[in-house]
Amino acid sequence: MASLPKRIIKETERLVTDPVPGITAEPHDDNLRYFQVTIEGPAGSPYEEGLFQLELYLPDDYPMEAPKVRFLTKIYHPNIDRLGRICLDILKTNWSPALQIRTVLLSVQALLASPNPNDPLANDVAEDWIKNEQGAKQTAREWTQRYAKK
Amino acid sequence: MGNVPTKLDQDGNPVETVNRPGYPTSGSMSSASGATSTTDQSPNRGTRTRRASSLVSTFLNSGNRYRSGSIQDPNAQGAASAYSSPHKRRSSKEKEAIKEQHARNILVRYDESVDGGFLAPYGSYGFDKLDYNADVVKSLIIQRRLAPFYTPLQDFDSSWSREELLKIVEGLPLHAAFNEHPEEFEDIPTGDLNKPNFDYLIDRNCTKKEYRRTHAKIFRARLHKKRIIWQETENEVFLEAKLDVRSGKVKNNYLPSEELKYDLYANGSECPICFLYIPGPLNYSTCCQQPICTECFVQIKRADPHFPHDEVDPTQPVKDDSEKDPNLLTTEPANCPYCATTEFTIIYTPPKDRKVGIQGIPPATYKSSVPQAGDDNQDKKSEDKPESKDINMSNAVSSDDIRPDWEAKLNKERQRLARRSANATAIHVSNQLVNPEYAVSGNQGSPTRRGSAQNSRATSNSGSRRSQRQGKSIEELENQMVQEAIRLSLKEEEQRKSSTDKK
Repeated sequence: MASLPKRIIKETERLVTDPVPGITAEPHDDNLRYFQVTIEGPAGSPYEEGLFQLELYLPDDYPMEAPKVRFLTKIYHPNIDRLGRICLDILKTNWSPALQIRTVLLSVQALLASPNPNDPLANDVAEDWIKNEQGAKQTAREWTQRYAKK
Repeated sequence: MGNVPTKLDQDGNPVETVNRPGYPTSGSMSSASGATSTTDQSPNRGTRTRRASSLVSTFLNSGNRYRSGSIQDPNAQGAASAYSSPHKRRSSKEKEAIKEQHARNILVRYDESVDGGFLAPYGSYGFDKLDYNADVVKSLIIQRRLAPFYTPLQDFDSSWSREELLKIVEGLPLHAAFNEHPEEFEDIPTGDLNKPNFDYLIDRNCTKKEYRRTHAKIFRARLHKKRIIWQETENEVFLEAKLDVRSGKVKNNYLPSEELKYDLYANGSECPICFLYIPGPLNYSTCCQQPICTECFVQIKRADPHFPHDEVDPTQPVKDDSEKDPNLLTTEPANCPYCATTEFTIIYTPPKDRKVGIQGIPPATYKSSVPQAGDDNQDKKSEDKPESKDINMSNAVSSDDIRPDWEAKLNKERQRLARRSANATAIHVSNQLVNPEYAVSGNQGSPTRRGSAQNSRATSNSGSRRSQRQGKSIEELENQMVQEAIRLSLKEEEQRKSSTDKK
């Protein structure tokens, strides 16, 4: 295996020395490009009180290519599908090498605080969200209780 | 390496390196730097003068042969250039020669330096990713419109003493370590690298397609090995030169003076993209004044040709890419990585008191103009950032400038898709001809139907054939084919014209 770029080493170190509130990211022992991530549901959102597990992988071309991020915990959200895949522009076409693991995870956390049902990944959830926002949020809260309890 | 003799092979005497003409006399040196105000138009004049005034031009010429792709004339766009006329169709032999030439073109050579940096990247990114036009980049560096490629420090500690810093800098290699056995090339035979022909490594009985694939793989594995050998040769030359100077045997004008090394590395900063510590001044984005090192800048490029990212309409079925019009393929200029402003450009302000290397004074004679107190760093830093009055937008360098072939690539991809869909149509129509009973289930889109050959084959093979022919006679089908042929040839002609116009 090729040696790990300095950038990844430094990012990992800085995540430890200067952690982001509500977010943890730890590299795997046998693959330092693979991170186990937890994100706390933002206060005031239906995901409050939830702790969500994610996985993050830095591809060979990182930082010229976006990290791959996926929810492992089941979540009811219009931009996150059943497999945990996330519809977020900066993970796809709007990726920039100036972004970091830290900024990516903050964006994911922000996506929990403000879902965007008009650009959905999970169509059924989005439809529910548009037609009956209160009901959808209630479902999201229930799922958080059921699957993401701290 | 028969075709890449090392310097030691050439003359059996490493000291020769030092004697190579380049920084001949102080007289011609000052004329080169004095001429810079007028050399903006022909930025390589200094280089050429230098070469022309060489004392042993025969030696230099032989030197250029084995160190081909050096800086003879970065602006050369002649037939010999690896980057000339991207529109031309080339044989695979030519393409391979171009790739080898490019690999030689991005070798770091210690005696090709500008202001303490080099003309080729250190190697923080892989070879596959270094697909920029090396002639253009070298010439921009020599013109001082783009920061040179500096050797980065992995870490920097401001508490290091001058001696500690110098010791670290002295030990820096020319190029990052290579991955000598990448997984990609595992089990691929490379044969004798000295022999240009390696067909003997390929099974004679394989199909043409298999042959092509194996050939390409072996070529890439060989190029990887050759590149390592070439760069290591340069590394050895650099090391020998350093050892010779240290032993006091000889002076070498190409090696940086201690003061140069200190001034470079005492005033560096961390590139926000690679996180490596790089001597300043760095390039700055014109839009938001953020720093970026040259090694990262040459990585920023347009996305590969793609279909426009429309807002997805959830009520419409998603269209398969193979059904879209190839002419819709598009790419946009790269955005600024920091503020996402479109059409990313950078601006570089060269250090005023450090004009060394090509078109400057010999690196070995550099004397620091700043007092050695060390507390002037802050002043220096603020100077690095170009002030708005200094910014001359005509000097800005865009990502497209260093990859001028983006348009040719886009057209090539469009043609490839068009050909594929034409093939599909042809197969589709001939199926209808051969078998009149052939179902027209896939016929809605014809004659401009776009589909991959695979799709159409799948349709033609599908068992149940609803016999709902729309009363098409053989004649009609023939007309249809002729029309399609005419349409395609018109299109090809158009594309040919537009590409020749652009030349």
